[in-house]
Amino acid sequence: MAKSHAVLRASALDKRYGRRSALSGVDLDVPARRIIGLVGPNGAGKSTLLQLACGLIEPSAGTLTVLGARPAAGAAHLARVGFVAQDAPVYGGLTVADHLRMGARMNPGWDDALARHRIGQAGLPLTQRAGRLSGGQRAQLALTLAAAKRPELLILDEPAAALDPLARDGFLRGLLESVAELGAAAILSSHLLADVERVCDYLIVLAGGRVRLAGDVRELCANHGAPLEDLVLTSLREASS
Amino acid sequence: MIWMSWRQFRAQAIAGVLVLGALAAYLVITGLDIRAAREGYTAQCQATGDCAAAMLRLVGDYRTRLLLLAGVLGLVPVLIGMFWGAPLIARELEEGTHRLAWNQSVTRRRWLAVRLGTVILAAMLLAAAAGTLLSWAASPVDAIAGDRFGTVNFGARALSPIGQAAFATVLGAVTGLFLRRTLPAMAGTGLLVLVVLFVMPNAIRPHLMPARHETRPMTVEAIDAAHGLGTLGSAPVLKGIEIPGVWVTSVSELLTADGRPLDPKIFDDCLMRAPKTGATGTFGDSSVCLAARDLHLDIAYQPNERFWTFQCLETALYLLLTALVGALALWRIRHTSR
Repeated sequence: MAKSHAVLRASALDKRYGRRSALSGVDLDVPARRIIGLVGPNGAGKSTLLQLACGLIEPSAGTLTVLGARPAAGAAHLARVGFVAQDAPVYGGLTVADHLRMGARMNPGWDDALARHRIGQAGLPLTQRAGRLSGGQRAQLALTLAAAKRPELLILDEPAAALDPLARDGFLRGLLESVAELGAAAILSSHLLADVERVCDYLIVLAGGRVRLAGDVRELCANHGAPLEDLVLTSLREASS
Repeated sequence: MIWMSWRQFRAQAIAGVLVLGALAAYLVITGLDIRAAREGYTAQCQATGDCAAAMLRLVGDYRTRLLLLAGVLGLVPVLIGMFWGAPLIARELEEGTHRLAWNQSVTRRRWLAVRLGTVILAAMLLAAAAGTLLSWAASPVDAIAGDRFGTVNFGARALSPIGQAAFATVLGAVTGLFLRRTLPAMAGTGLLVLVVLFVMPNAIRPHLMPARHETRPMTVEAIDAAHGLGTLGSAPVLKGIEIPGVWVTSVSELLTADGRPLDPKIFDDCLMRAPKTGATGTFGDSSVCLAARDLHLDIAYQPNERFWTFQCLETALYLLLTALVGALALWRIRHTSR
């Protein structure tokens, strides 16, 4: 594929788990925008699409390119994409400081100053074992690890889902700051439309493993003459009928 | 990546070294014990002049303890496979941390190669230490006993444990990669390694080099030296044939002068209705009756001087298997999802 400026490009993308189809016939061409929101009900295929995008799983059919290359095509490509998986996995037995050291050892572009700044801002004690962090702190640690490798694209899978409102607010603020600081793009999945509305400028609506709506948030609202919430709800209702 | 591999392995490594430390202390004590006993016996026997008997007593005193030690050390690869190998990938997959690890700027293959390499190296060092210590502790007894190829003894000494440990580690890792859960992976690995440790000495080791053969004529004395007379299936056999200084790997059934198996009916007649001769050997008249048939055995064996050749061959085989299974893991991990 020719070098392109698309963050994400999918054509006829299918993903099946055994006989169950998680994604089918997904065509996407997401231009470089600041923050892309991926919304849809539980089981819509959001996680599947994001895990495909970071190369954690492979498509059953069709093609997908991220930043112009196959996901996780090699170490260099891995360095360009930061991923925060659902429920922000970290090593429970390792301390926060250990995690930062891991990041430094495993990422050539590691920005230690950025990492320590973010950890300090989030108030994470360096000597604390990650297994003893609260959900919000763990999400902050995971976001820090993903951001401090200075990726061109941050992918976040339901990063704020398990957080209380205060922690969620802090997390989203941190995300916005990181994206601005890195000059990176971000793809963020959520089933909370309010979160997406707050931080995203491009929207993809997934339901039943298919793309129902995709486009620039302002253009979508202008074209349909409706607020974002109505737009999303309408497309989801159409999908379920 | 090396730092991370070590950091994740540290607790297990320390536990392993502690266990080995306890075993090592006991091995050292045993080794010193044996040497003291040897000196005692030597001093005694030089007075009486019968040192051969004294040395046999030394072997008798320590044979059981050394066999038990070899048995315990023989299980070290099982423990290494279960506690070092199996969790290596399975725990990551089970706790979901592979999603963190595999999104650092390191390809999965490199991640696995370095992590597996670290643990394999540690396992080989641990096994080398254990095997060397046992070899040292047992060397005065080994020099006299001549049981170099004993199933348990051979596998716990010298080089073979190193190969076993490497293979057990990679087997555990791959089991975890396929089963994806720590506890089932540990159980499965334990079972697999036990099977390997059983199959290797019984089915593979005897054939690592072409055996030497000896034709033993079945004289009355030769028959009476056996532990038993009987049939295997319907073939008449002599049980418990031993040759000093070699490892007997297989013994044929009783063969007639033209190389054919002895007719079981003749064997039964000799066993049940042998003509009375007044013979007083282990099997009495039966031995005389069978000896008259001009029978012989074809014995396949490996001489004790092949000990080191066999150690090298077996270790090389284990390392080859390690490389093959490791390659399987590296191939498979690229396509592991979720």
